[in-house]
Amino acid sequence: MIVTKKALARRTFLRGLGTTLAIPFLDAMVPALKAGTTAKASVRTAFVYVPNGIIMKDWTPAAEGAGYEFMPAMKALEPFRENMLVLSGLAQVNGRALGDGAGDHARAGATWLTGVHPKKTEVAIHAGISADQMLARELGKQTQLGSLEVGLESPSLAGDCDSGYSCAYTNTISWRNPTTPMPVEVNPRAVFERMFGDGESTDAVARLASMKEQSSILDYIRGDVARLSNGLGGSDRNKLDQYLEAIRDIERRIQKAEEQNATMKMPVMERPTGIPDEFEDHAHLMMDLQVLAFQADMTRVISFMMAREGSNRSYRSIGITDGHHSVTHHMNDPEKIAKTAKINTHHVETFAYFINKLKSTPDGDGTLLDHSQILYGSSISDGNAHTHHDLPIALIGGAAGRIKGGRHVRYPKETPLNNLLLTMMDHTGVRIDQLGDSTGELKLLSI
Amino acid sequence: MEGTRVALLAALFACLSPCLSAEGGPTPASQKALLDRYCVGCHSAKLKTGGVVLEGIDLTHAGNHAEVLEKVIRKLQTGEMPPPGLPRPDAATYTTLAKWIEDSIDRYSAANPNPGRPVIHRLNRSEYSDTIRDLLALDTKPGALLPVDDSGFGFDNIGDVLSVSPALLERYMSAARRISRMAVGEPGMKPTEEEFSARTLGMRTTRNERVSDDLPFDSRGGMAFEYYFPVDAEYQIRIKLNGGDSAGNATPYEIRMPVKAGLRTVGVDFLRDSTKPEIIPTAGGRRGGGGAAPPGGAGRGAKPLTAEMDLRIDGAKIKRFEPTEGFGFPQVDRVIIDGPYNPTSAGDTPSREKVFVCRPPAGGKDDDPCARMILTNLAHRAFRRPVADTDVQPLMAFYKQGKQDAGFDMGIEKALRAMLVSPDFVFRIERDPAGKAPGTVYRIGDVELASRLSYFLWSSMPDQTLQDLAEKGKLKDPAVLAQQVRRMLDDPRSQSLVDNFISQWLTLRNIALAKPDPDAFPEFDESLRQAFNTETELFTQNIIREDRPVTELLDANYTFLNERLAQHYGINNIYGSQFRKVTLTDPNRGGLLGQGSILTVTSYPNRTSVVQRGKWILENLLGSPPPPPPPDIPDLKPTSHDGHQLTIREAMQQHRANPVCASCHVRMDPLGFAMENYDGVGKWRTKEAGTEIDPSGKMPDGSSFRGPAELKKSLLASHRDEYLTTLTSKLLTYALGRGLEYYDMPAVRSITRQAAKDDYRVSALVTAIVQSTPFQMRRIPEE
Repeated sequence: MIVTKKALARRTFLRGLGTTLAIPFLDAMVPALKAGTTAKASVRTAFVYVPNGIIMKDWTPAAEGAGYEFMPAMKALEPFRENMLVLSGLAQVNGRALGDGAGDHARAGATWLTGVHPKKTEVAIHAGISADQMLARELGKQTQLGSLEVGLESPSLAGDCDSGYSCAYTNTISWRNPTTPMPVEVNPRAVFERMFGDGESTDAVARLASMKEQSSILDYIRGDVARLSNGLGGSDRNKLDQYLEAIRDIERRIQKAEEQNATMKMPVMERPTGIPDEFEDHAHLMMDLQVLAFQADMTRVISFMMAREGSNRSYRSIGITDGHHSVTHHMNDPEKIAKTAKINTHHVETFAYFINKLKSTPDGDGTLLDHSQILYGSSISDGNAHTHHDLPIALIGGAAGRIKGGRHVRYPKETPLNNLLLTMMDHTGVRIDQLGDSTGELKLLSI
Repeated sequence: MEGTRVALLAALFACLSPCLSAEGGPTPASQKALLDRYCVGCHSAKLKTGGVVLEGIDLTHAGNHAEVLEKVIRKLQTGEMPPPGLPRPDAATYTTLAKWIEDSIDRYSAANPNPGRPVIHRLNRSEYSDTIRDLLALDTKPGALLPVDDSGFGFDNIGDVLSVSPALLERYMSAARRISRMAVGEPGMKPTEEEFSARTLGMRTTRNERVSDDLPFDSRGGMAFEYYFPVDAEYQIRIKLNGGDSAGNATPYEIRMPVKAGLRTVGVDFLRDSTKPEIIPTAGGRRGGGGAAPPGGAGRGAKPLTAEMDLRIDGAKIKRFEPTEGFGFPQVDRVIIDGPYNPTSAGDTPSREKVFVCRPPAGGKDDDPCARMILTNLAHRAFRRPVADTDVQPLMAFYKQGKQDAGFDMGIEKALRAMLVSPDFVFRIERDPAGKAPGTVYRIGDVELASRLSYFLWSSMPDQTLQDLAEKGKLKDPAVLAQQVRRMLDDPRSQSLVDNFISQWLTLRNIALAKPDPDAFPEFDESLRQAFNTETELFTQNIIREDRPVTELLDANYTFLNERLAQHYGINNIYGSQFRKVTLTDPNRGGLLGQGSILTVTSYPNRTSVVQRGKWILENLLGSPPPPPPPDIPDLKPTSHDGHQLTIREAMQQHRANPVCASCHVRMDPLGFAMENYDGVGKWRTKEAGTEIDPSGKMPDGSSFRGPAELKKSLLASHRDEYLTTLTSKLLTYALGRGLEYYDMPAVRSITRQAAKDDYRVSALVTAIVQSTPFQMRRIPEE
C-alpha cells in the first residue's frame, strides 16, 4: 500500500511499528453513538479542491437529469455514476473583484468554502469561517481530530502571492475564523503522526500512556501562559490566546481518544517516511490516509487541496512541462486548451482512486462512500477569464441516504455555492441559518 | 510710477528678510508655496487624488503631518510627481524641497521618537531549528517538521503573521519529545527507520564528479548527509541503487554495525578508477548510461561490470561493496538507516554534555540538588532570561515523575520536554515595565536586547558571552554593543543572514522551484541549479565576512565559480567542481544582476521575461514596486501577422503604444531590456529569435544604458540612494520582525547616513540598525 518502498521485507514492516495489529473489519469501527442504539452511520464530509478552473466545455454534461453523457474531463468517474451528482450554475460571487482590482486566485481560494469576500492585504488577513471548520466545531466533539487539512503542494514561499493578497489566501481553503487560516499538511508522514501520534507503535496501551503525559504538559503550559499574559499588551495577549486555544483543542482530543480507546482497534498502516517524488504516488498516499481517517472515525471532516490555488506546477508524468497556471491562460490557443484539459482529466483520474477506495471500504451496513459526501471542484470556472460563476462542482457519495445520485442538476444563474455547503452541513446534523452569502438550502439533492 | 517703484522696493525688502533667512534658503512658507503651486491642484481637499490631500498642510509643524509627508518625500525622490507632462520646478528647487521636508521630519522625530512596537514574536521554523542546535548541540533541523510559516513584507519572521494553530502545537509537542529523547539519549528508544534520498538532497548528478566535500577526492557520485545517531547501539544501514536487476529488484547493500552516538556524516561514494567507461560494446548494446534501467539488448551476454562502492561514516571507510547494477555507472538512489538496536549506553554526545552540568551522587538518593542545578541552567538558557523558583518548580515536578518511571536521566528528559513547548521558549517575550503611562517610549532591557540581537544576526538564541554581558547590564555601553555586533558578524552563525535574509530579500528560495523547459534550455540540470545557489550564497557570504560595502553587491568585479558554472558563463580555464573566487574581466558579469540564480528566478520556464526582471529590480533593489497589472492581459504573440518571429521588444510594443500600459511599463521594461543578453538560465547570448539583441533601455528620468554593465553603472550613479534606502528598509524589517511604518522612515534615513560614514560596509549598516530607535526602544500602546 505504501508506494515508497517496492520490495518490502516483512521484518522491516514490523520493525517500524513495534506491535501491529492485523485487522479484519470489526463493528467496533462504526462509532457507536450510544450503547445499545443502532445509530444511523455518521456522515463523513470531504472537500476536494483543484485550482485554476476547468475547461468547462469538457466538464458540463449537455443534458440535464439522469442518463447524461459523461464528458471527457470526468470520464474517470463514470463507474460511480449512481453515486454522484454534477451540479451546474453555482457561484462564489464574492470571488469577483468588487472594486479590489486584480487577485482572482487569492479570492478564489479564500471564498470557496467561506463565501466571504477577503480583505486585500498582505499582512492583516481577514476572510470568513469556512464550512469545514463550522462542521469541525460541532462534529469534532465526537472525534479525536476536529478536522484534517491536507494537500499535495507546499505552501508558497515569501512574497505576496496574487497582486497584493497574502499567500495565506491561496495556500489554504480552510479558515478556523476570519483571521486564522488552517495550515495545509503536505507531508504524509506528518499527517500519519497527527492521527496516530509520533509513537512508533499504534498499540493502544502505549498511546494511552503517551496521552497522559501530554495532558500534564498541557497543564503546565496553560499555567505558564496565564502567568505570562500579565503585563502584555492587547495584541500580544491575542497571540497567547491562540496558544491557549490550541491547548484546549489537544486536550479535547486526548479526552476523546481515551473514551474511544476502549472499543477502537486501529487499522494497520505503516508510517510513511516522507513525500513521494511522483504526484500520483503522493496523491494516492494522502488519499489512503484520508480513507483511514474516515474508517477509524478519527475525524469526519477533511479538506484536501490537490494543488494550491494559482498553482503553476508542471505535470511531467502526463507530458506537460508548462506550468498549470500558465496554460490555463490559454487565450483560446487550442494547444494550451488541450494541455489544460489533460491536467483536468489527470486530476479527476487521480481523484477517482479516492472514490474507489471509499466504495470498497465497508462501513456499518454499507460502504464508506454511502456514508460520505465528497465535494469536488474549483472556485474558478474559466481559468482564462477568471470567472467565479457556473463553477465546476460534483457531489459524490450517499450522505447516508440523503443524496440521490445519477443526475446532472442545473441551478438558476448565480445560485450561491454556499447554499450547497449549508445543505451539506445539514446532512451531518449541523444546522445553521446562514454561512457567508448563502440564501437557503439547495433543493433537488435528494429526490 | 514713483509709487509703484516704492511698492516694488518695499515688496523686495519685505521679501528679503524671510527670503534671505538662512542665506536665501527654504522656509516653511516658501516650501508650502511650492506645494500649493505644483501639487494642490490635484491633491486638494476636494479632489483627494490618489487619497492624498496636500491642501492646508502646516509646514511649520511638519512632524504632525509625517504620514502624508513621507509619501511626498517618496514621490519626490523617485521623481514620479508631478506626473510627466505637468509643470514642475527646476531641478535645484525640486531637490531642495524634498530635502527640506525630510530634515523637518527628522528633526521632529529626533525630539519625539516613535519606535513602534513589534508584536510578541513566535520562533519560526529556522529560528526553532537553530535555537535547538545552540541550546542542546543537536543539529537535526527539527523545524523542518513544523508547518510552513506564513510570510509578510517578504519575510517569514514577521511577528504579526506568525500564528499558532492546534496543528502547530501538536508538532511542537512531538518535536519536543523527539528532541529531548535525542538530547538525553534514552537507551529505551524503539528502533525507527529513516530514509535519505539523493534527489531530495540535491546530489543526484549525471556528471562523473565528486558530489560533496564530505566524500574523498578520488570519489565519484554517491551521496553524503548528516545523521544523528541517538545512542551507542547497533544500526542497520542500507544502500539502494538506481535501476536494479532485470526483475526490477534492487539488491540491498547493507551492513549492521555498532555506532557511537552523535551527529555523524554518512557517505556513499564510488571509486573513480573503477567507474571509468571501459565497457566493450556488445551487439545491440551501448555504453552504460548512468543507472537507468538497461535497454533491452544492451550487454546481454556480457559480464556485468562491477563498481567499487564505499560506505563511510565520518569519512572513514566502513565497508566496500561491489554492485553490479548500472553497468559500471551505478547511482545511489537512497540510504536507509534503521535503529537503534541493542543499545549499550546513552553515549557521550555533545548534547549530553550541555544538559548534564552535574551528575547525581551514586546511590539514587540526594539526586534533587543536582537535578535542580541542571534544570535551572537549562531553563535559564532556554527561556533566554534569568529564572526564578516559580519557573523551576513545575519542571522539578516533571523530573520527579520521570525519575519515578525510569530513573534520573528520564526525569531530566521529561522536564526538558515540557520546557521545549513552554511559551517562554517558543515566543520571544518583551514585557513593558509596570506603571508606565500609555504612549511612553522606553529603552528595552539588556536581556531583551540580547535576544533581538541574536535573532537578528544568528536566527538563534544569545550565546553565553552575550547573555552574560546582558545580565550584567553591559550592553547599554555603545562600545560594548558595537564590539558584540562585530563578534557576531564574524561568528559562523551569521550564515543565517545569508540563509534567511538574503535568500528572502532576493527571492532566491524560488530557485529550488524553477523548472526551465528542457527543450528551450537543454543544458540546465540539477548540478547547474546547485551551482547557481552556491554562487550567490558564497558571494553574499563573502560580502558579509569581508565587510565589503553593500554597493559591491551590484558592482563587484568577481564572483565564485566552479567548472560547470564557468562553462555556462563562457569563462575559460576553470577546472574542477570546487568553488573558488574568480576575478572577472567581462564587466557585464559580476554582481547580483549577472548571477544565474537571479536571472533564472526572473524568467519563465521557456523564455526570458523583460517585465519580471524589471519588476524584480524595481521591487527588490529600488524599493518602488509597480502596481499589479489589470486583469485579462493577453499573452505575448510570438509571431507577427506575416509569420516572422518577433523579438521580445517588438512583441511588447503595446507597452509603449498604449498609454495605460506605458504608465507602469516605462519604468520596468528598459531595465529588463538591458538584461536581454542573458537568456532564461543566465547564459550570455547575442541573438534572439534570429535577430541581434538590442539591449538598450531609456528610463523616464532620462538616464539610458546599453547592456548589463551600463545598467549597473547607471543604477549606482543615479539611483544609489534608493538602493541603499531599500536595502536598509528590508534589513530593518527583518531585524525588527515587523513591517515598517511612516514613523520608521526617519530611522531609515538616520541609519543610512550613519552607514555612509563608513562607506556603507556591512558592519556599519548592521551597527547603525542595532543602535537605531526602533531596535533599542519600545512604545507602550494606548489601549
